[in-house]
Amino acid sequence: MQQIWLITGPPGCGKTNWIRETLLNHGGTCAYLRLDGSTKVGLELGHNAGIDQSWLRDQIPQLQDLFDPAPSSQLSSDDHLVLIEAQQFSAPTPSAEGLDPQITQQLQQFNLTPDRTLHFGVDPELPKQDTLDFTKLEAWHLDLQGCVWDPNSLSSFWFELVNGAYGDVYRAKALMNMPDGRSFFCNWMVSQSGSQFLPLQSVVPPTGRPSRPSHLVIQGKGLIPAGIRSTINDCLLSDDVLELQQAPLREQQPNLQPTLPTPA
Amino acid sequence: MAHAVISCLHANLAAFQAVLDDIDQQGIKTITCLGDLVGYGPQPNEVVELVRQRAIPTCQGCWDEDIIDGLNACECSYPSQLAERRGHHAHHWTADRLTDDNKAFLAQLPTTLCRDKLLFVHGSPNSQHEYLLPDMNAFAALERVETAGAETLFCGHTHQPYVRELSGGSIRVSVQQSDSEEAREQEMILPMRRIVNAGSVGEPRHGNTKATYVVHDDTTGEVSIREVDYDVAKTCQAIVKAGLPDVFAWRLSHGFEYAERAEDASHVCER
Repeated sequence: MQQIWLITGPPGCGKTNWIRETLLNHGGTCAYLRLDGSTKVGLELGHNAGIDQSWLRDQIPQLQDLFDPAPSSQLSSDDHLVLIEAQQFSAPTPSAEGLDPQITQQLQQFNLTPDRTLHFGVDPELPKQDTLDFTKLEAWHLDLQGCVWDPNSLSSFWFELVNGAYGDVYRAKALMNMPDGRSFFCNWMVSQSGSQFLPLQSVVPPTGRPSRPSHLVIQGKGLIPAGIRSTINDCLLSDDVLELQQAPLREQQPNLQPTLPTPA
Repeated sequence: MAHAVISCLHANLAAFQAVLDDIDQQGIKTITCLGDLVGYGPQPNEVVELVRQRAIPTCQGCWDEDIIDGLNACECSYPSQLAERRGHHAHHWTADRLTDDNKAFLAQLPTTLCRDKLLFVHGSPNSQHEYLLPDMNAFAALERVETAGAETLFCGHTHQPYVRELSGGSIRVSVQQSDSEEAREQEMILPMRRIVNAGSVGEPRHGNTKATYVVHDDTTGEVSIREVDYDVAKTCQAIVKAGLPDVFAWRLSHGFEYAERAEDASHVCER
């Protein structure tokens, strides 16, 4: 039997983490869909940029992404669970009244009718996170595909970012590439203590710049994009430095060849 | 007689003036400075000129040396690419603005100062760039003091003030002069030595924004670490107005150093 659950909540309440846990514990086949809600006056939604999808696909390789137009090779089991994630500031009722009209419209496009609607901060079934009641929220994001970080610089930048050096950041999440081929899911919320730095299971060879998704998404107040950009520029590795760091790693795996452009 | 030891001013005029006021209010006449007059902060000329005006005996710090000799330390000085870029930015900004006269003053500063059995250095007797951290191996720390012939070593550079007493040290050796003789055990008891770190006036790294320095009584041996409030906002405004990175002001106002210490703090660049 197929079940469709809609999970809603404000930014950073733990929707994706809860969905990940639920899907990992689910015995049957599973699918995931992330829907964008509506930006309200003074309350900007974060541009997700595929971070949640990439993170969940990495953690659950057999997961069917309903946004992906390619047909899934996975046959739905009798116990098929579809989890839909949507960012919404105020809670809808259990019968989905009060649901963001844009989310309702998107559900219709996908021909999906949730059996259950759960909202963080309201439904006791969900973990009691210290969800914030946002009254004002700006959003900013940066595509970092192909960019590789100096690891210690990323640590310094993230520390400054979440401690207010570039405005009052309430929420930050990102997928960041390391020179050794790893990628990290970086996750922080003002109501939580500490950041998550979780390595993706998939590791690419250290042969240049990876092509997989890499993005930074920030929500908060009084954000200073110029300062963020400037610091990020000082943290990213140039081709030369990247090659310098990757060459010794390739020596340990001699079948790997560099893909960096050769110097003129 | 009480004397004050200050270090790591880092072109922070408001902090330096507040510390001088605190010293003057105690009636202390002798001040020794352990260097790093410039670097990161917005008022390098003003700070150097105030040191000169007050005729404060001063050692050369690593920043003072680099401003004169150019950036020739290896990247090991910095824990990250970001810290290195910021350090280089601050270096070029400072070098561009410091007057020739003030550069000449920094160039002639000695690397050590000695008064009786008190030795004053920026980093360690070995190098302006070496960190004597409070948890450094006790034998290595004692070696730094003993080989310099000092009873008390005053240093800075770490930006964290501390007083460390090195006592109860001994070296036991076994000496056998020929095959026919039995080995003789010898034990040398090492005298008590002290390392006093003066912290930082202009870029504190001890958990809050207050400027730190130390007062030492060379009669009683008593050392007190002083923390002084100063107008942090004034220096932060000067940082922004000077065109230095805004994040420097943020870091200073939160009690974070401009650039973190290198991972291997004991490493001394020999390039």
